[in-house]
Amino acid sequence: MRRPLPTPRAEAPAEGGIRVRGLAKRFGARTAVEDLTFDVRPGEVFGLLGPNGAGKTTTVRMLTGLLRPSDGDAHVWGHSVTHDGESLRKVVGLLTEQPGLYDRLTARENLRFFMKLHELDEATAWPRARHYLERFGLGGREDDACGSFSKGMRQKLAIVRTLVHDPRVIFLDEPTSGLDPESARTVRDAVAELASEGRTIVLCSHNLAEVERLCERVAVVRRRLLALGPVRELRRAGQALDVRVEGDAEAFRPALARLPFAPNVLLEGGRLRVMLADEAQAPDVVACLVGAGARVHSVVPSQRPLEEVYLDLLKDEGA
Amino acid sequence: MAFRPRRAMAVFWKDSLDLRKNVGLLLSMAVLPMVMVTVPIAVVWTYVSQPDHSDLRTVALFYDPTLPLGASAARFLIDKSLTDWFGMFLVMPVFIPILIASQSVAGEKERRTLEPLLASPVSAAELVAGKSLAALVPAVLMTWFAFALFCVGVDIVAWPLVGAPLMPNALWGFGVFVLAPLFAFFGNGVAVLISARVSEARMAQQLSALVVLPLVGLVGGQVAGVLKAGLAYYAIQGAVVLVLDLVLLAASIRLLDRERLISRWG
Repeated sequence: MRRPLPTPRAEAPAEGGIRVRGLAKRFGARTAVEDLTFDVRPGEVFGLLGPNGAGKTTTVRMLTGLLRPSDGDAHVWGHSVTHDGESLRKVVGLLTEQPGLYDRLTARENLRFFMKLHELDEATAWPRARHYLERFGLGGREDDACGSFSKGMRQKLAIVRTLVHDPRVIFLDEPTSGLDPESARTVRDAVAELASEGRTIVLCSHNLAEVERLCERVAVVRRRLLALGPVRELRRAGQALDVRVEGDAEAFRPALARLPFAPNVLLEGGRLRVMLADEAQAPDVVACLVGAGARVHSVVPSQRPLEEVYLDLLKDEGA
Repeated sequence: MAFRPRRAMAVFWKDSLDLRKNVGLLLSMAVLPMVMVTVPIAVVWTYVSQPDHSDLRTVALFYDPTLPLGASAARFLIDKSLTDWFGMFLVMPVFIPILIASQSVAGEKERRTLEPLLASPVSAAELVAGKSLAALVPAVLMTWFAFALFCVGVDIVAWPLVGAPLMPNALWGFGVFVLAPLFAFFGNGVAVLISARVSEARMAQQLSALVVLPLVGLVGGQVAGVLKAGLAYYAIQGAVVLVLDLVLLAASIRLLDRERLISRWG
């Protein structure tokens, strides 16, 4: 059964942030992304979710001015992705899936290169870089060649490079990939801190626990937008009611099936797990059970983890 | 979009730094100048060491049947070798940028550094300018340095026969200071163009290196006596290469477009 989910809706355009309207990208006959519409506010951490090949990277590339949209438009911190490529790239920071460092160059040289590309005054940009280097545990390694760095160190240096020009909008593709738990936590803290400074952050990740922890809202894409909304709301869309009744719980399934909204009912460990589209349906479920003669011992509402909701979404879309 | 020299210089700075740390590439770059300098010096030395060898006159008459009886065949062949060798010497300013530019453009794809680079404000023209400078400057400097060694070597070896400095002469001066940068630009342009189309630096190098074949062919024609090299001959070559350079420059900027690079290789 397909549960109703928050649907894409046009929100008020943010002054900063990101505003996407009908964005599409085609490579020849192949459509990578179609009709994406969403907004991301300044100071928001926004999750962009989807399976491999769903169009997340293509979307990010359009929003960072690397690819031209085939249709639609988007504004990133007020800069059109179709018309303001150079000014757009000055305000965005992109952490790609691969760190993409110059191995023969030292960490300092790698960062200096990007400072130069952004035409920054190194005297003011270096303290910021040093701050993040220290924070990510790379202090004292500035003059080591990147080729000698571990995978985690490379990832952390790539994050510093992403931040070196003080971007207003930051796109992070799997930012904690390859990091140990402590470093991953440092990065998550840094992401939250960057958002609290008013920056817009778009997080692409398959680590849904991390997305759940960091993001206020998420978009689930598979070529097109499958769902968009606050994580809380998405999880509520997959809300379940765990009901413990006296006696044979199975006996009450037919009664529940007669409810007008016909909830999906599972029997789990002697309890009834009733899947609801809306928490307002809970009293009807209880009334129905009582009406069928059940002695209800407990009713516990539980939200499913984002991962379960996400997988259901993709399953529904595939079906 | 306005061209910002600072950003082009940033690319030049990074690529030059990367090149200085790439020992393998530096060594492979040094081999060609060594060959280009030592081979002609050895040839001149051969003529100087046996100036009266009867076979020299036979060879000289093959190239110039009007050679006066009293003229030194060895001296004639030294002059001819130096003139012809210049065509071969031009392989160096073409080949060195190919080695560097192939690494710097296709290498960015291989190392997955292209996407972060293209996500910066640098424009295609700035990228081409920076990467081209990083390939051209070492190529031209190496050519000039090799030319200086070549002049000294030839003059030392030829002195016992000629008694005066042979090098530099007008043809070589014109060639090294005017034609060599044009040829270097050509080699770089071809490498940038091919690098933008292929995924591996090695493949880019191999394909780009094919452009030296026509040059070698021309030298072959000179040695076979079919082509007569001289200032006008090289000036025509230079004019043709100048036109090709302009075409390659426009094509490189077009091919280093973000969309193309990313959708193909990113």
